[in-house]
Amino acid sequence: MRDYFYGYVRSDGQVGIRNHVLVLSGTLYANSLCERVAACCDNCIPIVHPLGRCQIAPDLAQTFRTLVGHGLNPNAGAVIVVDHFKEAGCTADEIAHRIARSGKPVEVVNIRREGGAVAATARAMRLAVELNRRITGQQREKVPVSKLIFGINCGTSDVTSGLSSNRCVGWVSDRIIERGGRSIVAETTEMMGGEDIIRAKCKSPAIAEKILGMIERNEKRILAFGVDLRGSQPTGDNIEGGLSTIEEKALGAIQKWGSKPIVGAVGYAEPIGPESGVWVMDTPGHGGESITGIAAAGAHVMAFSTGGGHTINHPLMITMRVTGNRDSWRLMQDTMEVDVSDMFDGASLEQAGERLYNEILEICDGKVTKAEALREWNAFAITRCGPSV
Amino acid sequence: MAKALVLDDRDNVANLIGPGSRGELVTCDGPGQRNERLELREDIPPNHKCARRNIRRGEPVIKYGLCIGKAVCDIPAGAHVHVHNVESNRGRGDLMTKAPAGEPT
Repeated sequence: MRDYFYGYVRSDGQVGIRNHVLVLSGTLYANSLCERVAACCDNCIPIVHPLGRCQIAPDLAQTFRTLVGHGLNPNAGAVIVVDHFKEAGCTADEIAHRIARSGKPVEVVNIRREGGAVAATARAMRLAVELNRRITGQQREKVPVSKLIFGINCGTSDVTSGLSSNRCVGWVSDRIIERGGRSIVAETTEMMGGEDIIRAKCKSPAIAEKILGMIERNEKRILAFGVDLRGSQPTGDNIEGGLSTIEEKALGAIQKWGSKPIVGAVGYAEPIGPESGVWVMDTPGHGGESITGIAAAGAHVMAFSTGGGHTINHPLMITMRVTGNRDSWRLMQDTMEVDVSDMFDGASLEQAGERLYNEILEICDGKVTKAEALREWNAFAITRCGPSV
Repeated sequence: MAKALVLDDRDNVANLIGPGSRGELVTCDGPGQRNERLELREDIPPNHKCARRNIRRGEPVIKYGLCIGKAVCDIPAGAHVHVHNVESNRGRGDLMTKAPAGEPT
């Protein structure tokens, strides 16, 4: 198994596995413009969302942090930030200022300042052309796997997930960490019932306390609604797939954390530290919100494990899917890359895991995922802590 | 013959690999058991769980060697184990609102 891939070395030392121009919407009212520009200009990825306005301060800060994190993600070679007016605390100017510290080219388009939607579209398109010319001369270089930040998530899980595909993802995470890389796991709701396993994996009691506190706070928020979590977690598709309780789902989900130590825990969309190992992020179980938090922390590539089959794809953090359910592979092959259902016919964890590892490194080298080929960008969603105001 | 996985010796459920039908004999294998035979009492959908032994009402349901919920009724060996006879102990806001006033929740 190789211990290198070919990536774009950035001026701040990070390495991208893609070299896109990111067209980043600051507020929902700039979404259409971002999508219009990205549809017309090559190599542009739009990031759009319903937030950035009328949010209470902690929520606005979370939106800001998530958007900045995406601008800083090394898969973006350049960024255009767009807003329509200004929302102090989350303006395109403020977002761009923070992203510019990385040294990558960043431009701002404010729709009002440009004289409206048509003029602003023209300016953003011209910038997209220029930025594309500027960044696409860069060549990929051979870099060690130690540079890799590996995102880990699962969804539409069924019983096969915990028995096969999640175990493979954990096996790949172990191999990446052995080579000096970092992994990010998340989905706090799906840690309920797995506390003893998590505690035993933590490098220090302080890290364990932090994660158990995250799980407890999350459960209290759920309990405050006075309802049975079932139907929401496990979801209807989880239940159809044979998962009876959130505890059972959690114990299957934790299989994808692998066997290496947990070296730190961070809040939603916060950057992780430099230490090699498993990092735990506090996110909801909601797939789009969870993987968006992980992408904001700088993950390059995500292995998304699914039992029932999934179409989830983050626009910037390259998302590949793996399943251990043979029927799902047959039905949902258009948006999945790796089948490990042969684990139920005697294939070993090492055989299936190596297949997944090799595919992930080829994707890092530039091989497109099926969702990339289809331009599927359905999983950018920022989580919220309070109401709109 | 249908196959099932037992993940830990302590487990009182086994996971079917594929579907199972009433009266069918299942071979349970895995880190938790070798070649255990079990007769299914009912049809079981693909990859769902069956009871390895009789589980009494209120008893923990064990998979991966850990509690994944509790039995809401007596579950005989070979029966389908799922949301109709197991409930979660976590995220149960519904139980908190039903608790009598003054009772700790």
